[in-house]
Amino acid sequence: MTLPNRWTSQLAALAGWLVAALLLGWWFGGVGWWLAGALALYTAHVLRNVFLLEGVLDGRKRVLLFATRGLWAEIFARVDRVRAKARNRKKKYHRLLREVRESTGALSDGGIILNAEHEIVWFNPAATTLLGLNPAADIGSRIDNLLRHPDFVAYLAEPLPEPITVPSPREEGGWLTVQIIPYGTDQRLAIVRDITREVSLERTRRDFVANASHELRSPLTVIAGYLDALADDAEMPPSWKGPVGEMQRQAERMTRILRDLIELTRLEAAGGGAPLEPVDVVAMLELMAREFPAAGNRPAVSLKIESDVALLGSESELHSIFYNLVNNAVRFTPPAGTVQIVWKTEGDAAVFAVVDTGIGIPEEQIPRITERFYRVDPGRSRASGGTGLGLAIVKHALQRHEGKLSIRSVEGQGSTFACSFPAARVAFRGGVAQAAL
Amino acid sequence: MAMEVEDLGHHISRKFNEDLEHVRSSVLAMGGLVEQQLDRAVKALSDADSQLGLQVAEDDIKVNRMEVSIDEECSRILATRAPTAGDLRLVIATLKTITDLERIGDESEKIGVLAARLASVERPSTNYRELRNLARHVKAMVHGALDAFARLDTKGALEVVKADDTVDEEYESIYRQGITFMMEDPRAISRIMDSTWMARALERIGDHAKNICEYVIFMVHGKDVRYTGVKNIEAEVEQGVRRQESRF
Repeated sequence: MTLPNRWTSQLAALAGWLVAALLLGWWFGGVGWWLAGALALYTAHVLRNVFLLEGVLDGRKRVLLFATRGLWAEIFARVDRVRAKARNRKKKYHRLLREVRESTGALSDGGIILNAEHEIVWFNPAATTLLGLNPAADIGSRIDNLLRHPDFVAYLAEPLPEPITVPSPREEGGWLTVQIIPYGTDQRLAIVRDITREVSLERTRRDFVANASHELRSPLTVIAGYLDALADDAEMPPSWKGPVGEMQRQAERMTRILRDLIELTRLEAAGGGAPLEPVDVVAMLELMAREFPAAGNRPAVSLKIESDVALLGSESELHSIFYNLVNNAVRFTPPAGTVQIVWKTEGDAAVFAVVDTGIGIPEEQIPRITERFYRVDPGRSRASGGTGLGLAIVKHALQRHEGKLSIRSVEGQGSTFACSFPAARVAFRGGVAQAAL
Repeated sequence: MAMEVEDLGHHISRKFNEDLEHVRSSVLAMGGLVEQQLDRAVKALSDADSQLGLQVAEDDIKVNRMEVSIDEECSRILATRAPTAGDLRLVIATLKTITDLERIGDESEKIGVLAARLASVERPSTNYRELRNLARHVKAMVHGALDAFARLDTKGALEVVKADDTVDEEYESIYRQGITFMMEDPRAISRIMDSTWMARALERIGDHAKNICEYVIFMVHGKDVRYTGVKNIEAEVEQGVRRQESRF
């Protein structure tokens, strides 16, 4: 092993001191004293450098180069380098932290960091303005003490992946969404967003559709009335029979579309959950099956009741869910096919299903068919008399009953539309009487 | 926050701390529910939504249930922990606060029922603007009182106490206006009686919010400032805040 240059020169210096002491001792006598003196001087030199080094490491002084070369110069230079590096790193972190602060400060969405006890650890300026938090006083307070809306308190206890909407505590008529995202160990980030504008736009849209539908309905009633009178008129020339009949059918279809639009906007506007009124599903389905008698151009509808449980919900909305699904199945099934209505329980859940042997739906279109006016095959479905709103109504009404719609379909072989209702919406027949009290 | 740091943080028994903290949070959760009730009752009036009004009246039972459960918890703490000083003040202020919150709930129920009744009769062209205005002030007071309770912020409490005068004045003017209208048009008497009752309920809610603020001042500074006038309350708060600051 070879020693680095600085070490050999240091050792050489020590050796030089000792040799000089030996020579002087030999010349003047008292070698021991000369050697001891030389070692003491050398030790003093080392101690002085160590003392300076300690001062430098403590950060009391900056490094001054006490020697221009050799071991000590190297050591001091290295300490200096390490310290400069640390200084730069610190500066970099400071800058980074400031940038993060500034960027989160510039965000228009509020961000709040919460610990496991729901206590506020940090929040950005947007959270201050959106929620009325006080940066000086609210760090360390529980967030549900300051944001007290019951919906938020419930959400905080059991955060869902979707954000919740709560009225703004600051502004009358303002709305916020809050989403809680867990991260790290027990840390949670709450994102607050102002959606007042979206809410009011949505309301404007809804009001527009509702008003337009209502306004169109009255003139349409007049038109349909005169068309009925015309069709019954014995003096009408035979050449007008066809056109008037067609006009009648189209007027009727428009009436249906408007009725569905109004129903849909009503469901959207209602919000929240449907009421918990007991509904006797079995009786409703038995009645419905009779509404669709097998005729020359329609398939047979059969009923398969495997359970007698009832549902807690809104009777008219449940009727419209079931009616729309059965009506769809009947319209898209050829007369030779069959449509089966099934009512059963699966575990705690109650399931309503319509199984048909109709034309089916191409798989890639299934996710889109609950959209308004979406048509798998425009020509065919219009001819079969649909409004294009049935499934949208089903979807919204189901949402209000916390239900789920699942669709399975094979093109050309048939479809199964199944609605599953959670246990909270299911009532056993004995329980219906009780719930009705 | 001084009190929280000093008085809620230093118990040897961790359970005791948790109990006190839980009581505080329950009061604020109840406050949140009461705020929602009031909010919905006022919305029932402005939207002429009788169903919502009746729903509010029905939901008052939730507020009552919360009062009973917090009441029990306070009794349990008093019996088993025998709290002293700041803790005792917290429990006492809590017991009083929930009573006032429950009353606010009752008044909201009343407003809900009246709103449901007013929804079915002809509405004035202003759609009860002055009532909605009064309601906005009162809602801000309740919100401010609960914020002051949450933050132990006596200055915020003082602001709410001061705001009560405005509410009283507005109530007074609605009352006088009602009398004038009734003399002008006797057919509207029953409607105006209802809306005056509603204004009365709102004014009462303002008083309850003011009471809660006085309990907050009692809890933090240990001074009972009820029935002493705004000036005196202001002086007490200033003195209390100064005392608290000098301790650090």
